[in-house]
Amino acid sequence: MESRAVITRKQNTVERGETRARRSLYWQYVVEPFVYLSPSIILIGAVMLMPLIIGISYSFQSIELLRPFNTGWIGFENYAKLWADRKFWIALENTFWWTFWSITLQFFLGLGLAMLLNTHFFGKKLFQALVFLPWAVPTFLSALTWAWLFNPVIGPLPHWLTALGILSEPYNILGDPDLALWGPIAANVWFGVPFFAITLLAALQSIPGDMYEAAEIDGASAWQTFTKITLPFLAPMIAITVMLRTIWIANFADLIYVMTGGGPANSTQIISSYIFTTAFRRLDFGYASAIAVVLLILLMIYAVILLVIRKKLVKV
Amino acid sequence: MARIELKNIAKSYGTVEVLRNIDLDIQDGEFVVLVGPSGCGKSTLLRMIAGLEPITSGAFEIDGKRMNDVRPRDRDIAMVFQSYALYPHMDVARNMGFSMEIRRDAAEMRKSRVAEAGKTLGLSKLLRRLPKELSGGQRQRVAMGRAIIRDPRAFLFDEPLSNLDAALRVEMRLEIARLHQKLKATMIYVTHDQVEALTLADRIVVLDSGDIQQVGSPLDLYERPANKFVAQFIGSPTMNVVPVSAASGGVILADGTFLALPHLDDTGLAVELGIRPEHIDVVDPDADALAAVADVVEHLGSDTNIYALVEGLGPIMVRVHGNIPAKPGDRLGLRIQAPNAHVFSADGRTLQRDMTGAA
Ligand SMILES: Nc1ncnc2c1ncn2[C@@H]1O[C@H](COP(=O)(O)OP(=O)(O)OP(=O)(O)O)[C@@H](O)[C@H]1O
Ligand SMILES: [Mg+2]
Repeated sequence: MESRAVITRKQNTVERGETRARRSLYWQYVVEPFVYLSPSIILIGAVMLMPLIIGISYSFQSIELLRPFNTGWIGFENYAKLWADRKFWIALENTFWWTFWSITLQFFLGLGLAMLLNTHFFGKKLFQALVFLPWAVPTFLSALTWAWLFNPVIGPLPHWLTALGILSEPYNILGDPDLALWGPIAANVWFGVPFFAITLLAALQSIPGDMYEAAEIDGASAWQTFTKITLPFLAPMIAITVMLRTIWIANFADLIYVMTGGGPANSTQIISSYIFTTAFRRLDFGYASAIAVVLLILLMIYAVILLVIRKKLVKV
Repeated sequence: MARIELKNIAKSYGTVEVLRNIDLDIQDGEFVVLVGPSGCGKSTLLRMIAGLEPITSGAFEIDGKRMNDVRPRDRDIAMVFQSYALYPHMDVARNMGFSMEIRRDAAEMRKSRVAEAGKTLGLSKLLRRLPKELSGGQRQRVAMGRAIIRDPRAFLFDEPLSNLDAALRVEMRLEIARLHQKLKATMIYVTHDQVEALTLADRIVVLDSGDIQQVGSPLDLYERPANKFVAQFIGSPTMNVVPVSAASGGVILADGTFLALPHLDDTGLAVELGIRPEHIDVVDPDADALAAVADVVEHLGSDTNIYALVEGLGPIMVRVHGNIPAKPGDRLGLRIQAPNAHVFSADGRTLQRDMTGAA
């Protein structure tokens, strides 16, 4: 049966001639793949590309819900306004410090926790569960809780900070323009450490044990083992998680919005909270889109730089 | 260079005793091979010597100094892992020079030592490659290079050739033998492979389920196995063992044949007879010998293996040098070379001239 079927097909191909064969080749290699891909292409186009294009086009228009008759294309006017906007530059600087301190503290605390969890000690399972808990708490709730913790009337933190000599008297740092940003950063670090701990722990556990044994026999000290074996093995994971988290934190305004609302005096305004305020408080969608496009470009530049570094770093 | 002494070493994981009563005195420059079935504790013993596993009890000494609690890095012992354990993110040169990098030796010195070791092992052209860009045999050589570059007091090998194909294994075996001759360092080598053990070793240590069964030169183990386990473990194909009953001056086989064993003083405790396949002669079927029928015949070119069924005795394997024209179903006469026969007592001990007095 089998062999007869094969023979029949062979005859078919021969009979139908060359043009047919060529057309089927074209069909098979050029058109057919896209037919299979079409569901994802349509989906990506509908949920990602279209909104992106519409959003970018908004940034070249004047769309203010409060002045509905003033709508229309205005070229780079939004961007020119942005260049002269002092609030934008403050927000940009705040975004940088917010992202930098959040990611740095999250990463190093997360790495430390992961290394701790990669050893054996009594009560490790319970500790592990506790470490991963913040991840499960809704952002809104943790923001409120942290806001309370910083309130000297009901929270202990100002008193502790005073006792440690960091504050001169127990007051709410969320109300101090110089220190307010540290409130959301503290909350964000607490919230984001589990992510790094989980991912880095997974990466640590995938390092073969005989690497460490070989290094031990070669005479490496604990620090040498860490820098020469552990870090190179973690590098790919570090690069990708730091990149993802940076982009996410730069866009992550929930904590700030709930804890300080961008105040006092814009001292905790970051770009994404500024976008939010511009779009949904002042209802100026054109200007908000222009800010969003700038943020998008900055993050893309960052991602490209990090990916290049990753390629240089990662040999395995 | 080092003399390594193990004195009454034992190892337990929790309540599971993996090794016990390990007494071994390894001379400076000696090549000692540990053999034994899977799970008998060879790797564990090696790892204890390297310092990767704590020693439960007993004393471990290098050159007379107790080393039980000395860290691996301070024991000055190099180890070649079965998995090679090359650092995947470092090129061959850095892999080999890693111990020198750790010691912060001068870069030129490191470079020249790496180049020298690379030349010895035929890796000169590959120094800039990453381990993933090497073949299995090349990786194995890098692992050896990493060990020799340190010029350690002793080398440990844990089944270093088991991941290689047969031809490469022979080549690397010679390489290791050459290395030992050149470096004259103490080497301890774990293997499953009898041929490796018999060809490389000055002395072989046979382990079984956590006990040392016998220590001796390859020839010793082959000619004078201490017990049935060693007798059957060493030598390929495996020694035939058949039940016998004791008689004065010899033993009586199950088919009633009397086999005189004048080289043994006392066979009174004998319950089994061991005879290696190469110590049985094939003679004319009508001669005064054991009557057998060939069941399977393997022609290896240099040798012929015959799996024969002996009347009243069961299957016996015979190895004949050269190519003989035997076919399955042929009638054969088998004659045991009595001076090469071993007899075992009920508890598996070999009854020998020097041992019978004590037994
Ligand atoms: N961490 C451990 N915990 C408990 N038992 C262990 C542990 N490591 C090894 N063992 C046991 O110790 C015994 C000896 O193990 P070992 O690895 O030394 O065997 P081996 O002789 O090297 O075997 P192979 O030839 O298969 O490599 C085994 O029975 C093993 O189950
Ligand atoms: Mg082993």
